[in-house]
Amino acid sequence: MNRAAAPRHRSLHPVAWWLWASGLAICAMRTNNPFLLALIGAVACFVVSVCRSSAPWSRSIAFFLRIGVIVIVIRVVIEILFGQRGVPGHVLFTLPHVPLPSWAEAVSIGGGVTSESILNAFVAGLQIAVILLCFGAANSLASPYRLLRSLPAVLYETGVAVTVALAFTPELVLSIGVVRQARRQRGIPIRGVRGLRGVAVPVLESALDRSLQLATSMDARGYGRRISVGPGSRRLASGATTAGLLLVAVGLYGVIDSGSLFGLGLPIMAVAAVLCGTGLALGGRRSARSRYRPDPWRRPEWVVAGSGVAALAALSVAHGLNVAGLTVSFSPLAFPNIPLLPIVGILVAVVPALVAPRPMSPAAGQGVGDPAAVEPGTPVDGGRPASSEPDLSGARA
Amino acid sequence: MTVSVPQPATRQYRRLTPAVRLGTRSSFLLLLTTLFGIAAFAWPLLIHQSSGPNSAHNGDAPWIFVGLVPLLLAIVMAELSEGAIDAKAVALLGILAACFAALRVPSPGINGFEPEWFLLILAARVFGRGFGFVLGATAFFASALITGGVGPWLPFQMLAAAWVGFGAGCLPPMRGFPERLMLAGYGVVSALVYGLLTNFWFWPFVGGSTTTYSFVPGLGTIENLHRFILFDLTTSMGFDLTRAVTCAVLVLVLGRPVLAALRRASRRAVFEPTIEFVDQAGDETVLSGQARENAGAGRQRNEPSHPAAGPRSSPREP
Amino acid sequence: MIRFDEVSFTYTDAARPTLHRVTLEIPEGELCVVVGETGTGKSTLLRAINGLVPHFSGGVLAGTVTVDGRTTKDNRPRDLADVVGFVGQNPLASFVTETVEDELAYTMENLGVPADAMRRRVEDAVDLLGLQDLRDRSLRALSGGQQQRVAIGAVLTASPRLLVLDEPTSALDPAAAEEVLGTLARLVHDLGLTVVMAEHRLERVVPFADRIVLVPGAGAPLVDGSPEVIMRTSSVAPPLVELGRLVAWDPLPLSVRDARRVATPLRERLAPMTPPVRRAVSTVTTVVARTRKLSVSYGRVVALDGVDLSFRPGEVLVLMGRNGSGKSTLLTMLSGARRPTRGTVRVDERDPRSFRPAELIRRVGLVPQDPGLLLYGESVEAECRTSDKVSALEGGSTARTLERILPGLPGDRHPRDLSEGQRLALALAIVLAPAPALLLLDEPTRGLDYPSKDRLVEVLRELAEDGHAVVLATHDVELAARVGDRAVVLADGQIIADGPARQVVCHSLVFAPQVAKVLAPEEWLTIDEVRHALNGAVPV
Repeated sequence: MNRAAAPRHRSLHPVAWWLWASGLAICAMRTNNPFLLALIGAVACFVVSVCRSSAPWSRSIAFFLRIGVIVIVIRVVIEILFGQRGVPGHVLFTLPHVPLPSWAEAVSIGGGVTSESILNAFVAGLQIAVILLCFGAANSLASPYRLLRSLPAVLYETGVAVTVALAFTPELVLSIGVVRQARRQRGIPIRGVRGLRGVAVPVLESALDRSLQLATSMDARGYGRRISVGPGSRRLASGATTAGLLLVAVGLYGVIDSGSLFGLGLPIMAVAAVLCGTGLALGGRRSARSRYRPDPWRRPEWVVAGSGVAALAALSVAHGLNVAGLTVSFSPLAFPNIPLLPIVGILVAVVPALVAPRPMSPAAGQGVGDPAAVEPGTPVDGGRPASSEPDLSGARA
Repeated sequence: MTVSVPQPATRQYRRLTPAVRLGTRSSFLLLLTTLFGIAAFAWPLLIHQSSGPNSAHNGDAPWIFVGLVPLLLAIVMAELSEGAIDAKAVALLGILAACFAALRVPSPGINGFEPEWFLLILAARVFGRGFGFVLGATAFFASALITGGVGPWLPFQMLAAAWVGFGAGCLPPMRGFPERLMLAGYGVVSALVYGLLTNFWFWPFVGGSTTTYSFVPGLGTIENLHRFILFDLTTSMGFDLTRAVTCAVLVLVLGRPVLAALRRASRRAVFEPTIEFVDQAGDETVLSGQARENAGAGRQRNEPSHPAAGPRSSPREP
Repeated sequence: MIRFDEVSFTYTDAARPTLHRVTLEIPEGELCVVVGETGTGKSTLLRAINGLVPHFSGGVLAGTVTVDGRTTKDNRPRDLADVVGFVGQNPLASFVTETVEDELAYTMENLGVPADAMRRRVEDAVDLLGLQDLRDRSLRALSGGQQQRVAIGAVLTASPRLLVLDEPTSALDPAAAEEVLGTLARLVHDLGLTVVMAEHRLERVVPFADRIVLVPGAGAPLVDGSPEVIMRTSSVAPPLVELGRLVAWDPLPLSVRDARRVATPLRERLAPMTPPVRRAVSTVTTVVARTRKLSVSYGRVVALDGVDLSFRPGEVLVLMGRNGSGKSTLLTMLSGARRPTRGTVRVDERDPRSFRPAELIRRVGLVPQDPGLLLYGESVEAECRTSDKVSALEGGSTARTLERILPGLPGDRHPRDLSEGQRLALALAIVLAPAPALLLLDEPTRGLDYPSKDRLVEVLRELAEDGHAVVLATHDVELAARVGDRAVVLADGQIIADGPARQVVCHSLVFAPQVAKVLAPEEWLTIDEVRHALNGAVPV
């Protein structure tokens, strides 16, 4: 079982996955054709099912699916209960009117519910659900640890804190089990208020002790060493950031009040974002750090990210050509057009399923970042939360 | 923050050093982010009626903020961490974020039972507002990564939680039961405000555009606010109240020991320690506090400088 | 390499200096062991080497500490990271990243080492420390010994000239400890690294040491010198050295091999004598607890496999075996925290899981590996009061028990501020106050110095004489040899040896104490036994 000798399966750069997913998500934002939306969702789900590893985070798409369904349901229920009445359409059923106090008289409950309104609400919900699904796909495919490593240098401190949190959480969940057990040994009830206190305080105390030990280690291992950057570079960085923020303010005004600034809100915002990004990148230079084996960006990464962009481009071109069927309405009730160009574009986004390298067996992720995999009641061999006993790790694996 | 309440002069009541210092520049950026953040949350109230082809942009507005808020957060976090977050603060941040995530894991914010709020509030109270801000944002980020819940809502949750942490760090000095009562009250208020804010963001999406309390662009601020409040009351008041009550009860029940544990940790960590180098131990007498106060010639006081003023005691590079 | 020049150090708010006019010079390429009792300032001394004291802790430092020509006054710990590698007590608590390979690279990333050099040094560290099969693994999934090796590797990649380790073997079983110490010795001999480490269990480190620094505490000056010289007079000494002092061997042997070479006359003198018989409790028919064909598995991992054991009053049973052999699981099962996968556990003829907590504590008391887990009060007194209330004892019972175990513990101290030994004493008092018939201790000697261990041995013997059944899971072979009546060795969840401690321990290669190794095939376990035998046989 010599892993070093075997050719290393690699996992795709997480940013590539996020770009791909963002491309799909923006596609979903720009159309409300239910067929296109369903296709986007299907593409995302298919790629996830082919490309995901067996790491714990790869299951998170299910969570997003659930949220998506909830959104659709809420949207439809709200429409049924509080929808605007008096719009012409095919009445499905009629709810009785409920009188409301005067402060809420703007809301009307009850009345005739039309199939048009329900369909419109469903499609609006579906759009959000598909956007969420794209995010879920990115969550499932990109390892959070690797994503953290791709954080810009200027956010290094935050990245370290989050890395520590990710690594420590499963241990913490285990230690809750250990403390509960110790509590029982003292004959103290583990339920109720006193039980809560008795468990929470020792867990917190030992966690805080750990933070001090960790800080010692980090300090002794060179955390926070900086090179002194020249005042010029420093000024440039903060200048770019400040200018960016000012432009953001202007751009915001333009976006919110779209009548002003000749509709230039969006371009201004884009320039502002670039300026801010430049400022951040320059600010990142103050750190003397180097990166160990950064995730490579090779051809598969280009293809995966490119396929997402291609889907978006196809949709944008279709928008530009005013292809029918991108924005549909169900009042009056009508079967929407099915435009060909966007369908081809979205289908390009399936390519990752073919080109993405297969993820390696998640040895690096053995039970990590997955508190749910840790049975809280597992007796830790040794009683120390930081147990060194391999049989515990075996139980976790 | 120099208001001092008359208290018995014991060590217990010594004001602890904040874990993350806020300089002028970071305070300014924080204020700016807050203003933009308010716009990001409340844009449905601010947006004007528009006509013509640009109205399509109204649909894009929430997504512009989805991109903008992370950028703002990145700028503030970068500014806050520049020199101000040392190893102790980072380790503490990571560990507390892990505690937060562990509390959040059983119920990732769906049913309203969110015991993690009380920890955020108490930690921010003890370690200061700068730390509270960073902790709020970091903790949400970490728990989203752990539960695989990085979604478009995340930046907004991070920003709202950061404000909650910041606010808790700003509360006036007080000790004992009144302090816990104040924190519980703050917990209720902040939990409700947090719910309101996140709803604000969600409202245009879920509320639809055709119901009687959905967001209608250009209907006017007051009318839209009215509609929003109705939306909030009918859809999520239950969750928000559960969160508020959970938080307040936990503060009252667990506040004393948890605050004590956090304060002990803060004292033991010695943020911004007083470091002195003396060339020679003068004589056999022990260097008591008095002796240190009268530090004479031949001593160098290495107190860390204010982070905004420049790098800390600069070491000589070899 | 390291020079302390008239160094005194006082923590902020402390009344007295922790280090007082320390002058010390450690040359390059030495393995230097810092010994001394708990609370004498060993850790402070080690932390002063890379400037953690005072930069991290705060306080007043007088004099100068110079490492490789750089003073800690002008260099913070992080600036010295490429000169001094510092490894703390708990390796797990020092890990910043998630996988072994990332952790090995972490220090170098901070130092800004170029990518190709980083890659090379990681591979070097992997080879030097034997981490080939672990490089992709999660740090949390490693055993204690592996974690310690990774922690050493993680500072080694910065190519420091000096390693500073604070009790690197305290959590390890004997085999893993040997492995880590062997690694360190190799680093000293092959790479010329300087190693400074603090250690309580001298029997493990003295054979490897080039120099010993004795920290006597109480303001007395440091003593440093070669192990032969220091060990002649040191207040803390391994059993081997005590044996050598007892029979006035010269030169003083520091390894079992040296001792065996000169021990033939002693063995001949002892041959006609029989070691004292430890209490034969196997004749006692009453049984406090027993397990029948007990099997426990966590998922696919089998922790216990068909264990049959009975526990009798008045008996001290030592439970030995490598990490992960099922010792802790067995204790957990006896305390009724988990349902057996197969087989039964009976305490007082009942399933321990059926007891309510208040009933359980009168029957089984478990002191976990980290005694701090039992403590959550705000002071020692508060802990004692809670214990009295929970156990429905008359007020002050726990405090009296504590006074018997460790007199003079300040009642207003916060449990987290106690030393390891004091915390263990408090946890023991809490567990013992309701007088459970069965007392279980899991690795109680972690971080204990010799005096605290002596006190623990006395307490355990007294408890056994009072009729408690004591079960002690431990890696500490010297402790097991001193206190055990009966020894059980577990491997892979099965009992591989069960019998009188003397026979079991003496016939093991791994678990034999130093005295037994020197005097084999005679079955002597402790220095006290030999002393009594000699005094009786050779009237002076």
